Amino acid sequence: MESVFEIIYKYRDAFAGGLFVTLKLCLITWIVGLVVGGSLGILSVKWKKAIGIPVRSFSFILSGIPILVFLYWLHYPAQTLLNIVVDPFYTASAMLTILNIFAVSDIVRGGIENLPNQYIEVAKICGLSNKKRLFKIEFPLIFRHIFPPLLITQVNMLHMSLFASLISVEEIFRVTQRVISIEYKPVEIYTALGIFFLLISLPLNGIALYFKHKYGRNLSER
Amino acid sequence: MIVADKIVKSYNGNKILNEISLELNRGEISVLFGPSGCGKTTLCRNLTMLEYPDSGTLKVDEQFYQFPSKNNFPVMPFPKVNMVFQQLFLWPHLTNEQNIKLAINDFNKEKNERFEYLTKLLKIDDILTQYPNESSLGQKQRVAIARVLILDPEFIFFDEMTSALDIVQTNNIVKILLKLKDVGMGILIITHNINFMERVADKLLFMYDGKIIETGNKNIIKKPQTEILKKFLGI
Repeated sequence: MESVFEIIYKYRDAFAGGLFVTLKLCLITWIVGLVVGGSLGILSVKWKKAIGIPVRSFSFILSGIPILVFLYWLHYPAQTLLNIVVDPFYTASAMLTILNIFAVSDIVRGGIENLPNQYIEVAKICGLSNKKRLFKIEFPLIFRHIFPPLLITQVNMLHMSLFASLISVEEIFRVTQRVISIEYKPVEIYTALGIFFLLISLPLNGIALYFKHKYGRNLSER
Repeated sequence: MIVADKIVKSYNGNKILNEISLELNRGEISVLFGPSGCGKTTLCRNLTMLEYPDSGTLKVDEQFYQFPSKNNFPVMPFPKVNMVFQQLFLWPHLTNEQNIKLAINDFNKEKNERFEYLTKLLKIDDILTQYPNESSLGQKQRVAIARVLILDPEFIFFDEMTSALDIVQTNNIVKILLKLKDVGMGILIITHNINFMERVADKLLFMYDGKIIETGNKNIIKKPQTEILKKFLGI
């Protein structure tokens, strides 16, 4: 009887392929989400009515839609309506990226809006230039405030990438399911997958918690 | 010299400062007192021009400001006129030393000597590497004072500086204030501490409901002229 390690070794190419797809999915989601979401968050503060309110409204609506429904809707009805066929990988990337963009945007906007204005006033009265105020006071304080939730959100995106398997994206969960259907060892293989995700997620969550504790304590002095 | 004339400031239609006129001189300690919510902090914020008054005029030495103004002012009163906030607002991500030095652009030998002198004077030379959250309230207060003093201000406003200090710390602050006065700095202090104001004040300003009701030397708390001040002092 084969051990779980032997099974993983036997299907190493398939697992590696699945892992590659998962990482590709995550990289697209993380990079686009952080860049576009971050920009949207900043713009939401700057132009509250024109950008802030629509972004917040959309984010609010999005938070009420189950991920699976959103994914299926993007994959089936939306494509039927538009009369197009999109590769499931791109559909999954689009869904995760949209979710990440609005999650990041909310975090960034909250971080900027919650920065106590008095820190800026003190900088102003002490005669700090706008540039110094931005780079030495505003940016570091906001970054410390938003870094832990951003990190946790990105880990959540990694976990959510598993939903892509439901529209036939050949990512790691899908590959795992295929292997299980051949080997009939669901407990062992799902456990191995769980441990694999734990090994990736726990250090990131640990870093987030460390910074949350470290910086949260400092900021609590307001 | 700072001369304010008929300064008015309203928030949401409520007049917080109602035609305030006052004069602050160098080498003089003025104490502003009055019940909570009467507009003391708002007055300081308007005198430093962190907020612009709705109307009135302000003169800081030769610089004249008239309100309302459609144009931006080319020269602001700060950092020459500066303020230590009640809640201090030390930047939490910077060490005490970085908090003090951040506003200095060209940190030359002269500035470094001043930094060392101030940190010794304020007895904070042993906590410079600490972060504000690692320092006691008294220490943080002295760091906040050093952060302002290193800028060499000509006028400095202290908002409720003794509210959380014990007797020893208050005595230290009194000594520092008297030294600052001796070097010609103009000081305005907001406080509720009658004993403290008696010790340091050259001039007292009693504020009530957005107006300066009584002004004078220490005698105004011994022999108040108005019923409002008598009632405030419990006489």
